[in-house]
Amino acid sequence: MNLEEIKELIQLVIDTGIAELEVTRGEDTVRIRRNSPVAAQEIVVPAPTVAAQPAPVATPTEEAPEPEDENVQYVKSPIVGTFYEAPSPDAAPFVRVGDHVTPGQVLCIIESMKLMNEIEAEISGTIVGKLVENGRPIEYGEALFSINTD
Amino acid sequence: MFRKVLIANRGEIALRVICACKELGIPTVAVYSEADRDSLHVRFADEAICIGPAKSNLSYLDVPAVISAAEITNADAIHPGYGFLSENAEFAEVCETSGVTFIGPPSAVTRLMGFKQHARESMEQAGVPILPGSKGILKSADEALGIAGDIGYPVLFKAAAGGGGRGMRVVREASELPGLLRQAQAEAAASFSCADIYLEKFVVAPRHIEFQVLADKHGNVEVLGERECSIQRRHQKLIEESPSPAVTPALRRSISARLVRALNAVGYTNAGTVEFVMDDKGDLYFIEVNARIQVEHPVTEFVSGVDLVKGQIMVAAGARIAEVIRGPVELKGHALECRINAEHPETFRPSPGRITGLNIPGGIGVRVDTAAYQDGMIPPYYDSLVAKLITHGRDRAESIARMNRALEMFVIEGIRTSIPLHRRILAHPKFLAGDINTHFLEQTDILTPAATEEDAG
Repeated sequence: MNLEEIKELIQLVIDTGIAELEVTRGEDTVRIRRNSPVAAQEIVVPAPTVAAQPAPVATPTEEAPEPEDENVQYVKSPIVGTFYEAPSPDAAPFVRVGDHVTPGQVLCIIESMKLMNEIEAEISGTIVGKLVENGRPIEYGEALFSINTD
Repeated sequence: MFRKVLIANRGEIALRVICACKELGIPTVAVYSEADRDSLHVRFADEAICIGPAKSNLSYLDVPAVISAAEITNADAIHPGYGFLSENAEFAEVCETSGVTFIGPPSAVTRLMGFKQHARESMEQAGVPILPGSKGILKSADEALGIAGDIGYPVLFKAAAGGGGRGMRVVREASELPGLLRQAQAEAAASFSCADIYLEKFVVAPRHIEFQVLADKHGNVEVLGERECSIQRRHQKLIEESPSPAVTPALRRSISARLVRALNAVGYTNAGTVEFVMDDKGDLYFIEVNARIQVEHPVTEFVSGVDLVKGQIMVAAGARIAEVIRGPVELKGHALECRINAEHPETFRPSPGRITGLNIPGGIGVRVDTAAYQDGMIPPYYDSLVAKLITHGRDRAESIARMNRALEMFVIEGIRTSIPLHRRILAHPKFLAGDINTHFLEQTDILTPAATEEDAG
């Protein structure tokens, strides 16, 4: 499976709005999962035919099902940097899925130019989704958590 | 050579840098504001990072956002384009301390060139002609009156720490000098936090002539001829050309030699443009150094055959000028550029919006640098440049003929553009004769309603 074919599959997912697609051809498998509002950026291809370096993966790790719910709001990154779920590598994460959070509570750290920026919740609610994995590069406006507001 | 280049800019110049990187085999990172999500530079870069909302100061001018984007993508070089952070010495410094190569002059040199008085002094020491004026910052109105009396009116007050017309006042006679000095100082303090003013002879109806330079990190400086940018409106260039109809080969040689000396002395590296005014006697006087690649660089690329942006990247990575420019610089033929802006051709009101129809002209001697595309949006948040149309011919007449033909075949629908204005300028007998200066539009009838009624379409 080459990059062109994978791009066509990605476009198919976007155009049709389906949530997940898995295609196997021979020994190659590609799974594309779409999560609004985070558009899939780059896909890691396990096939040995791809010469380019794999780009950061946009698929989430631990994640609760996301209801199409008006009560659900997204915590979006206000800066560019690297996402850290805990205050230090050995410490427990600031929050987990299922935790209740209040305004001002620290949810994560985005590191930018060696500065650790604490990202605080602005609303009261329950974390229903942690949308990015630890150590992931983050761009401006990227969704970090989904919160079911009180 | 660099592992990865991040382009800290948008629009056509971001695309231009991406082109050079592709030719050099260097992967690219685009940064973009939310308003530029669907733009061409995002599409054609290998990676793209959203760095902020639409407003420039929260995105393209946000130094931590740009540097962080370089960090998370592992870019080892940043090309700043023009405008935005390209002449921001602090940004260049942050790049240096972050271990990212800034593709431009060293921050100390950019800072030095930004202080107009220092730049004047450096040039004068190397024998580059500067306008008669104060030796340094003016200490008093009396000092100014003395100097003005010596060099003759009119004179011009200019801010030492900034430009863009702020802190500038034209003084036509001694009686108005003290009051205008106070005004200039107040405006400079408000705009640049520095009330320092210096004084220069004011050239009435000057020609704007600028020289393109490229220097490596090994002390080699090359001058690639000059451009004339006299056709302006409110200090914004509309049309540029090379060579200037007013510069003789002897003058070109003389200025070029002095510029090499001057730029060597200040340790200049990478691309830059040295601006001059020419008075009605044909004498050139140094104004300032623009320590960046400029909008109108394609004009020089056409006549010299040198890819200036590739050159910037190569010298920033340590290449010598001899690798970038094989052999002596030969300037061939004549080139013209029209800056096509998204604005009403008569009212000059900005015309952002969606491009519903686009036909880009081509053919021999025609180049178009643009980030516009069919169904693309011209957002209202940034400058109004839609496209640069550049033509080249064996002489000025041919490049003008090609420009006319290309303008006629350049279709941009859905927004208003300055194309009708460019066509009127190129048809004017004074322009055709090369009899131009920076007051060209005011001195001709091109902007008057009668002349503009014919192309109300």
